[in-house]
Amino acid sequence: MSPRLLLTLLLLTGPTHAAGTLDFNRDIRPILSDNCFACHGFDAKKRKADLRLDTPEGAYAAIDGAFPVKPGDAQSSTIIHRALATDEDEVMPPPETNKKLTSSQIETLKRWISEGAEYKKHWSFEPPVKTTPPPIPNPHIRNPIDNFIQAELPKHNLSPAPEASKEALIRRVTLDLTGLPPTLQEIDAFLADSSPDAYEKLVARLLKSQRYGEHMGRYWLDAARYADTHGLHLDNERSMWPYRDWVVRAFNDNLPFDQFTTWQLAGDLLPNATLDQKIASGFNRCNVTTSEGGSINEEFVFRYAVDRTDTTVAVWLGLTAGCAVCHDHKFDPITQKEFYQLYAFFNSAADPAMDGNILLTPPTLRLSTPAQSKQLADLDQKITTVQSKIRDALKTLNYIDPATLTPPPPVATSEVVWFEDAFPAGSDLQTAGAPTEFVTQETGPIFSGKKALKRTATGVAQDFFTKGRNFTVPPNGKLSVQCYLDEKNPPTAVMLQFHTAGWNHRAVWGEEGAIPFGQVRTPERVKVGPLPALGKWTKLEVDAAKLGLKPGAKVTGFAFTQFNGTVFWDHLAMSSRVDPAKDPQWSLQAWIKANQGKRVAELPGDLQTLVRGKKAAEWPAPDAARLKDWWLENEYQGSREIIEGIGAQKLALEAEKKALEDTIPATFIMADLPEPRPSFIMDRGLYDKPTTPVSRNTPALFPPLPNKENASRLDLAKWLVSPEHPLTARVAVNRLWQQFFGTGLVKTSNDFGSQGAPPTHPELLDWLAVTFREDGWDMKKFVTRLVTSHTYRQTAQFSPENLQADPENKLLARGPRFRLDAEVVRDQALFLSGLLSPTMGGKGVRPYQPENIWEPVAFGGSNTKNYIQDHGESLYRRSLYTFWKRTAPPPNMTSFDAPNRESYCLQRERSNTPLQALTLMNDIQFFEASRAFAQRVLTTTPSTPDRLTTLFRSATGRHPEPSELTILEQALSKHLANFKTQPEAAQQAITYGESKPDPALNPSELAAWTLLANLILNLDEVVTKS
Amino acid sequence: MNPLLDFHRLQTRRQFFGDTGLRAGSIALASMLGHEMASASQLQAPLPGLPHFAPKAKRLIYLHMNGAPSQLDLWDYKPQLQSHFDKDLPESIRNGQRITTMTSGQARLPVAPSMFKFTQHGKSGRWVSELLPHTAKVVDELAVIKSVHTTAINHDPACTYVMTGSEVPGKASIGSWLSYGLGSASNDLPAFVVFTPSFPAASQAQALFTRMWSSGFLPTKFTGVALRGQGDPVLYVKNPPGVDPSNRRAMLDALGELNHLNHSRIGDPEIQTRIAQYEMAFRMQTSVPELTDLTKESKATLDMYGDDVHRQGSFTQSAILARRLIERGTRVVQILHRGWDQHNNLPKLIKGQVDDSERACAALIMDLKQRGLLEDTLVVWGGEFGRTVYSQGSLTKDNYGRDHHPRCFTMWMAGGGVKGGIEFGETDDFSYNITKDPVHINDLNATILHLMGIDHRKFTFKFQGLDQRLTGVEDHHVIKGILA
Repeated sequence: MSPRLLLTLLLLTGPTHAAGTLDFNRDIRPILSDNCFACHGFDAKKRKADLRLDTPEGAYAAIDGAFPVKPGDAQSSTIIHRALATDEDEVMPPPETNKKLTSSQIETLKRWISEGAEYKKHWSFEPPVKTTPPPIPNPHIRNPIDNFIQAELPKHNLSPAPEASKEALIRRVTLDLTGLPPTLQEIDAFLADSSPDAYEKLVARLLKSQRYGEHMGRYWLDAARYADTHGLHLDNERSMWPYRDWVVRAFNDNLPFDQFTTWQLAGDLLPNATLDQKIASGFNRCNVTTSEGGSINEEFVFRYAVDRTDTTVAVWLGLTAGCAVCHDHKFDPITQKEFYQLYAFFNSAADPAMDGNILLTPPTLRLSTPAQSKQLADLDQKITTVQSKIRDALKTLNYIDPATLTPPPPVATSEVVWFEDAFPAGSDLQTAGAPTEFVTQETGPIFSGKKALKRTATGVAQDFFTKGRNFTVPPNGKLSVQCYLDEKNPPTAVMLQFHTAGWNHRAVWGEEGAIPFGQVRTPERVKVGPLPALGKWTKLEVDAAKLGLKPGAKVTGFAFTQFNGTVFWDHLAMSSRVDPAKDPQWSLQAWIKANQGKRVAELPGDLQTLVRGKKAAEWPAPDAARLKDWWLENEYQGSREIIEGIGAQKLALEAEKKALEDTIPATFIMADLPEPRPSFIMDRGLYDKPTTPVSRNTPALFPPLPNKENASRLDLAKWLVSPEHPLTARVAVNRLWQQFFGTGLVKTSNDFGSQGAPPTHPELLDWLAVTFREDGWDMKKFVTRLVTSHTYRQTAQFSPENLQADPENKLLARGPRFRLDAEVVRDQALFLSGLLSPTMGGKGVRPYQPENIWEPVAFGGSNTKNYIQDHGESLYRRSLYTFWKRTAPPPNMTSFDAPNRESYCLQRERSNTPLQALTLMNDIQFFEASRAFAQRVLTTTPSTPDRLTTLFRSATGRHPEPSELTILEQALSKHLANFKTQPEAAQQAITYGESKPDPALNPSELAAWTLLANLILNLDEVVTKS
Repeated sequence: MNPLLDFHRLQTRRQFFGDTGLRAGSIALASMLGHEMASASQLQAPLPGLPHFAPKAKRLIYLHMNGAPSQLDLWDYKPQLQSHFDKDLPESIRNGQRITTMTSGQARLPVAPSMFKFTQHGKSGRWVSELLPHTAKVVDELAVIKSVHTTAINHDPACTYVMTGSEVPGKASIGSWLSYGLGSASNDLPAFVVFTPSFPAASQAQALFTRMWSSGFLPTKFTGVALRGQGDPVLYVKNPPGVDPSNRRAMLDALGELNHLNHSRIGDPEIQTRIAQYEMAFRMQTSVPELTDLTKESKATLDMYGDDVHRQGSFTQSAILARRLIERGTRVVQILHRGWDQHNNLPKLIKGQVDDSERACAALIMDLKQRGLLEDTLVVWGGEFGRTVYSQGSLTKDNYGRDHHPRCFTMWMAGGGVKGGIEFGETDDFSYNITKDPVHINDLNATILHLMGIDHRKFTFKFQGLDQRLTGVEDHHVIKGILA
């Protein structure tokens, strides 16, 4: 490093305010915090030698007659002696900490003591104060932001940069406010508008675009750790997207930040909460959850509450509370007790420890229309009525357990063939895939009869019927089918599927995740066994009960299904065999024996716990009686006749209810348990080591919580946005600043504590924070203020002076310049190509993704094991709507630093790697976009130079220089020459992707232009906001 | 890590590019710069001050047996257990420790001795299970650690723990730490490469998580790059159909020229970095196919690995590619072999797992040794926890299952700086508790860092106000007893 650069660095980062006055927070606290506080700070347990240096009381007090810090007298202050000591046992910090004070740091400490050793509360814990912007005699002032920024520049021999060109400005601000580039028409209109407020009008237009909410919301979703899967173990799908769409809506509606906060932290607790307020409360349900077998409930209930506390503290207070889970915070004044007092706000959440691997882990909210709500209520009413009829009917039974009879009752067997040579006569045969094919003895293997069903498939395909015939499920029914798999072309999985009220009974052999329908590990998708042997007939069998086919139910359709390969099917039959004395559906004793100690999913919650946790002999009589009633109704076959009619009615009603519910979107929401769960300090952060009980409260260093008695999350949320709060507004404006300028005024936007970076412009930060609050937390107004400042509008050009003096652009003597985020890079390419779909919201989509991203990592039984790519419009939606699987997020997003959303992310990395280059050059998504981009220009623009200019200008916003045009022309002619000699290659290149090339265009020419468009989408200037 | 130093590193790197740009001074910069980069070894440089001391191992191959292999059936020989067949695990051994909810409801915890025979092997006379006939032949190279322990009792947190030093997602993986600290000797291949090979179809495969090779809070470029068994070996490395290398070269030349022009106009050093990264991407388009082409391997070498070496995406193929990668300068290779979670049917299923992987592990050791690479390459083998001595589900002489057991398990290390032919640590008669020399998984990670020339206490990265370390906040220690 050059000496000059080193000097500059020190100027920017080190306490070298030789001439000026020392400021405790700027100059002293970082030194003490980094070197001393770990042992002489806030954490009483870790405090050594009873010395604390984080408070004046501690530092000034004599220990054994010596003063650690003696104001005005550095020579008598022991911390200086110890810092200068050469003896290994004497010197501070001790050598084993790997910390060492530099001589300039020691000098600074000496000066501070000599000048009186004044302590100040850490800057961010003092309320922000709005100061008058410093006057600047300068034409570069557009709003007070510029006064604060430009007041600092002369101290570093810098001056503000001139305003960027109009082309650069419109591209910058359009990308920043909508996440998409401007169109050529928009650029031209802006260039043509010579009115003085042309730029302000542009900003106002952009803020009205629905794209604004999509773009702004995306940053928030990083903070909220939003995703479409549970995140741990099976990492199954969850339905959370209505929350994502609400975030977009909230930004577009310009919901003030205080309400934005309250709804998310406590929307469920607001009086007469609206649908949107309830959806917003899903913020606290976005954390990762598990349902891994063997997990201990208490451990995960604890972890979820810690995650929610940690996230809330980080997102709103910009502090890292994580440390205080295990011990008092070493650097910031948050005790372990205070952490658990915050945790107590979240520790009563009503969601279960195990997410159940289901789409909708309660509490959830169905977003029903009024008509749907009424339908549901009607159905519930009917179900209740039928239920009471059933109860009455069962009272007439006089049950005697056959296991108690001597001799035991006889055994009975039977078989009914459901499929032989054809689907049932009169039934309505259908397929998913090519038409149904049967083979005979001559044309393929058959097992019995004269024919077998044959199907060859790519992906999922099936033959089925639904109407015209039905079959009754016998007690103890066993379904069997003969199956023959082609040796040369085996499937990945085969499946039998049955229709009662819906197609909700599936038996799978082979890879469980291959056919992605039905909830895994429920009767909707039962993995019965491995794929049968190839090249021979194998009998596949499954108990009807396992598939949820209850005795008496009517099967009104069945399907033979497979994933890939060639499969032959024959002889589907239902057989049954009953031995009443040993049959759990005839003998209650047998049932208890079979289920004792197990988790019986069909049982109501409390009976489930009873059966699982207690031996039958220990069951209290009322519980045993309830279990018997449940068994008589749901399991006992002897009661079928009595309740046959009403039982079928109930099944039909329940099926109808489920079918209706499946059509209604739903989302996770927050709710508390009726009785709060007691909270304790957990020793060393261990879930099974509760110590002192704690009640809800906020840390003492902040203004007090108004309603301490029975405080709720709502009180916490209101406290966060109260005018006295020193952090919330600062943290929020800093993150917005970071979004637009690349780096926050506090660089460590997730750490406003004493280990974080001090603000580069403290007065500006405070001015912004207070103004934001005074403006009613108006986010659009705040954003407008940022982007209309001269500071934002400066050219991003680096001059040698400002590169040397301020390589990180902390002082902002030039405009922001940094690489676009993953989503913007992709959306921009789609936008330029004309492929981008404008559709907003809805369930996550599955665009192109290379094969084998999910499969090599996912658990076999996960319903997000196999990535089934969508087609058509879904390939071209904004990246915000891409389905997000946390354990294997989309690679073309993560290679551009998108976080995996396992935990909150308040600041994305901005890397520059070869994998990004490969993605942009070769990913089908980007290459197809290149072709569509080229095609769009070829079909609208006639001459080569105009086409080159249009391509270049659309992507960069500016006209190419002659030298650039020459380079592009040369590249084009090379590509043209290349593709003209290889028409097949050209054809391949232009047909990569699902959208179709324009047949009117010459393939070689289109291919050459495709590569040129590919070049342009790869330009540094195009993937960068400049 | 001191932010100042990090900044310094960035500066040196940028200055390098800056200077090169000035000297070249022409718009035909791109390919020239590429060439120069290759010799200058700057793309993936180590952090200043690293390694802290002369490393014994320059590279790491980590064979992660995902799902938790049974120490009782592979390594931790307990002949006296035969007499305890189907007897209840003594309460004095369990000592009230928590067990998973998969067996906590079981009426009994019956002891299941291993049904596999153990015999002594090598000069060292180590006891090895008959399940590991090939590994037995290289046992003199291995330090077998029988006293590894963890606190997590389920796969997800345990995998996260062993790979990132913490049970809670969000921390950096060991491979990311090493490539962050030590960089890579290759400018054509990633510093940290991960394989997720195929596994036996019948096995109980647990999930993997990209967080096991993710950079966590470290810059994302230190995330492991997956070398895939299907499709492009490195994502997007192949040109789109119809685009040949000469076309790509022409496009990249023009791209480099335009980016350079842009740099002279804007002056942002980041542009120079991007130019260099595009050149590395182009080189990867050649180096990756070359890497995966096994036709130049000798027959003797291929025979050592066995026929499975030709099966794309197999564990065996991953093993030989691991050797090829480290030969070419890659710092860390991790192979994550799934399917070791045998809650029931263990004897049959574990056989499938060893058949799929065991020969390749031994071949890799021999292959490295023959090439003189073993002396400065560290090889680590092991899972995320161990398995219980008691049977999960029904127990017969030749069939049983084993639940998760975090209190002790066996791992082995070999190569650079590790004493071969030794055993370290002891467990009680039930392979339930550790009786001597416990090794926490973060001790193990501290040892790996130590062998690679890094003091785990000094190797930190500031995040969320803390000096984050791979080995966490608790104090952990290098396992001195296994160092050569």
